[in-house]
Amino acid sequence: MPGLKGRVVGQHWYTPYAFMLPGLLCYAAMFAWPAVIAIQLAFSDYDIVHPVRFSGLDNFIELGHDPRVWIALRNSLLFVVMFLPLTVVLPLFLAMLVNLKLRAIQAFRMLYYLPVITSMVAVAVAWRYVFNREGVVNWMLGLFGAGPIDFLLDRHWALPTVVLLEAWKSAGLFMMIYLAGLQAVPSEQVEAATIDGANAWQRLRHVVVPALRPTFAVTLVLSMLEAMRAFESVYVLTRGGPLDSTLTLGYYIWSKAFEDYDMGYASAVGLLLWAIMIVLAGFNLLVTRRRDV
Amino acid sequence: MRRRIALYVLLIAVAALFIGPFLILLSSATKPAGQDVFGFPPDLIPRPPVATWFREAWTTIPYARFVLNSLIYVGITIPVYLIVSALTAYPLARIAFCGRGVFFMLFLSIMFLPGELMLIPRFLVMSQLGLTDTFASVILPAILSSLGIFLLRQAFSQIPDEVVEAARVDGANEFAIFWRICIPIVAPTLAVLAILGFVSVWNSFIWPLVVLTSQSKFPIALGIAYLSGVSGTDVRGLAAGTVISLVPVVLVFLLLQKRILNSMGGAVKG
Repeated sequence: MPGLKGRVVGQHWYTPYAFMLPGLLCYAAMFAWPAVIAIQLAFSDYDIVHPVRFSGLDNFIELGHDPRVWIALRNSLLFVVMFLPLTVVLPLFLAMLVNLKLRAIQAFRMLYYLPVITSMVAVAVAWRYVFNREGVVNWMLGLFGAGPIDFLLDRHWALPTVVLLEAWKSAGLFMMIYLAGLQAVPSEQVEAATIDGANAWQRLRHVVVPALRPTFAVTLVLSMLEAMRAFESVYVLTRGGPLDSTLTLGYYIWSKAFEDYDMGYASAVGLLLWAIMIVLAGFNLLVTRRRDV
Repeated sequence: MRRRIALYVLLIAVAALFIGPFLILLSSATKPAGQDVFGFPPDLIPRPPVATWFREAWTTIPYARFVLNSLIYVGITIPVYLIVSALTAYPLARIAFCGRGVFFMLFLSIMFLPGELMLIPRFLVMSQLGLTDTFASVILPAILSSLGIFLLRQAFSQIPDEVVEAARVDGANEFAIFWRICIPIVAPTLAVLAILGFVSVWNSFIWPLVVLTSQSKFPIALGIAYLSGVSGTDVRGLAAGTVISLVPVVLVFLLLQKRILNSMGGAVKG
């Protein structure tokens, strides 16, 4: 590691801490302290009006008897199940497409990346025009003799539509991750396979995919965590409705905390979500580690 | 040749999927009052394109105020974010001290404290500090990110020792080395972080929604949500307002796309 040497002129024992002081203060105030409060609140019945009062495991017992938590948990898991193929598999094909050596390919990368940098609110507004009962998607369905569907008002279609929006918005990001991975695949390997008579599919299956294993690990974790905490898209598109069909854990926490002011209970649900995310990330790490051996 | 044309057709078809919704938004925002926004078959070309809805969006709600607020949030947050991140990353890369690895892990742990889960406790911290409904409350949580510290630590550690040693021999203290020598060298990384920071602050929605109560402090994304609330029926005005909110990020992106796309790849490759 360059720069890692003994004490040097102009350095005191406190020099590194002095540098980090603003960062540490911000960390303490905006991350560590809130994290401690979150845990404390989960064991309280805090409602903003009355002072924080310790209530032991009450919130967690309530959790077990609350049917809406189970609905939210189910919806969040469904979200993950629908989201993964759209963000772990499809963007690989996007990346292969924009990895071609063609003129103006950079412009296409940029266009595919555009939804990533725009705000969820703006994107949700745009989607309302597309998925409206009389919008473009329903017109296309009509050409095939199907629909029209009230995508956001139908309890069977609302969740898939929200998932699709999230996947569409982040596809460009996952594409860029894969592109970085693809560009690190040694081109000699691909060429060698071509000379050996492997077709495009065989090259993908036997050369590219194995080489991308670390990239898959990254996208899988990112995608799962993103799906588990889906909230902003739900907030701007459906507010958890219709009939709780898009009630995700993230939205449930929000509605308990900022609509019902049941901060203690909301924090307990927050801890549950947090625990699930840590387990998912840990499990993922374990699986990918084992495969590498 | 035929293969190449087929590939371009495919590339353009996929591009239509990604920018189509934005084009439909733009078409709705520029259609004259007499032309339907919805309907079968879709009538997407405005005849003739008009600017009235942009003017209307600008006047129905204090739109200029929201844009100004967002510019203030970006203008204060980004410089502070860059300075704090650089100061924090520097010793993690270039000074040997006890517990360096622990501090690095500490800052990386920010990644595992997603903003959504911090909404409630952070809101309470802000009320304890008496900062709810202030500009500071929006800015403070945005001045530290694990990505910033991670990327800058990498950039700092790649600076060759000889460059720094020369200054040390001349008697420069650590801060002078940091400020006058290392900061200019990591400028490209700072630029990338500034762009990503700009995008995320400009788009921030949920946290301002929680912590702000007075409309006069709303950033633009909250303004759009507000617009879609007050003018539920005026689909053209809402589309126009949304288009306005997209302009700055799209401009920044167009100007700096190469740098952004390369950095995204680089950041992930780590």
